[in-house]
Amino acid sequence: MATLDGSTIIGESILINGNLNGDEDLTVRGRVEGTVTLTKTLVVEPTGVVKAEVQVKNCVIAGAVAGNVTASESVEITKEGRMIGDISAPRVIIVDGASFRGRIDMGEFEVREGERPALAARSRPALSVRRPAAKAEAAAEKGLPPRPPEPPVPAGLGAKKKVIVRRK
Amino acid sequence: MAAIEKPPTPRSAAHTVIGSSIVIDGEITGDEDLVILGTVKGRVGLKESLYVESSGVIEADIETANVEVSGQVTGNISASEKVELRANCKVVGDIRAPRILIADGAVFKGSVDMEVKGAK
Repeated sequence: MATLDGSTIIGESILINGNLNGDEDLTVRGRVEGTVTLTKTLVVEPTGVVKAEVQVKNCVIAGAVAGNVTASESVEITKEGRMIGDISAPRVIIVDGASFRGRIDMGEFEVREGERPALAARSRPALSVRRPAAKAEAAAEKGLPPRPPEPPVPAGLGAKKKVIVRRK
Repeated sequence: MAAIEKPPTPRSAAHTVIGSSIVIDGEITGDEDLVILGTVKGRVGLKESLYVESSGVIEADIETANVEVSGQVTGNISASEKVELRANCKVVGDIRAPRILIADGAVFKGSVDMEVKGAK
């Protein structure tokens, strides 16, 4: 009897207004307003509109979502997807073409946060000051004349000069 | 009885399915067939058919064209065409529809009104 057990589909002309809870995948092609709480995946198809506080494991947005989305695994906004609201999920994927307005919180990532200030302090001055010097050093090590003092010399000439210097 | 029963094809063709683990607390409205395997509380208003499968539980007032109940319904049912209570269903509430079928084995408590008040 149950032809489509285990998957819930909200068809295009359907409007659900209220709270929706469940432990299975949900595909929305129509409208859902209120709250959506699932332990599995919410898929909002291109025709789907969700105006709700969403709490799920995974969320794939190819339609329109207005409201905050909290996912325990991932949120993906596809190229047809439109969303306004805040996302809280450890993995957030927004592909080219998707439109989104809101905040994203990917949670705590202590390791990177600890490294970042140190990296910035070390690398920023080096970027502006040390780079030309480093280049010159590298050039000297290779046996090539540094470019600013001399005009560019063909490789063959440079090699001859070296030989002469050694003889002196 | 059996001659009037619809083949199960419309069920598979239905666009909307509320799965067995889903609980909806609120209002469902739409223009297409709806199959309910889960729980719905609140109100259901459709222009097509509603199928309450054996695992389905509805605590809501229902307003549709057709209703076919194999599960549990608590609430008033108003259909513009037909209400069918299948065997092993449990329905508590009033039913209003031009055609009402109650199968052997169905449990029903409530009043029945088959008077047609124009095409709704």
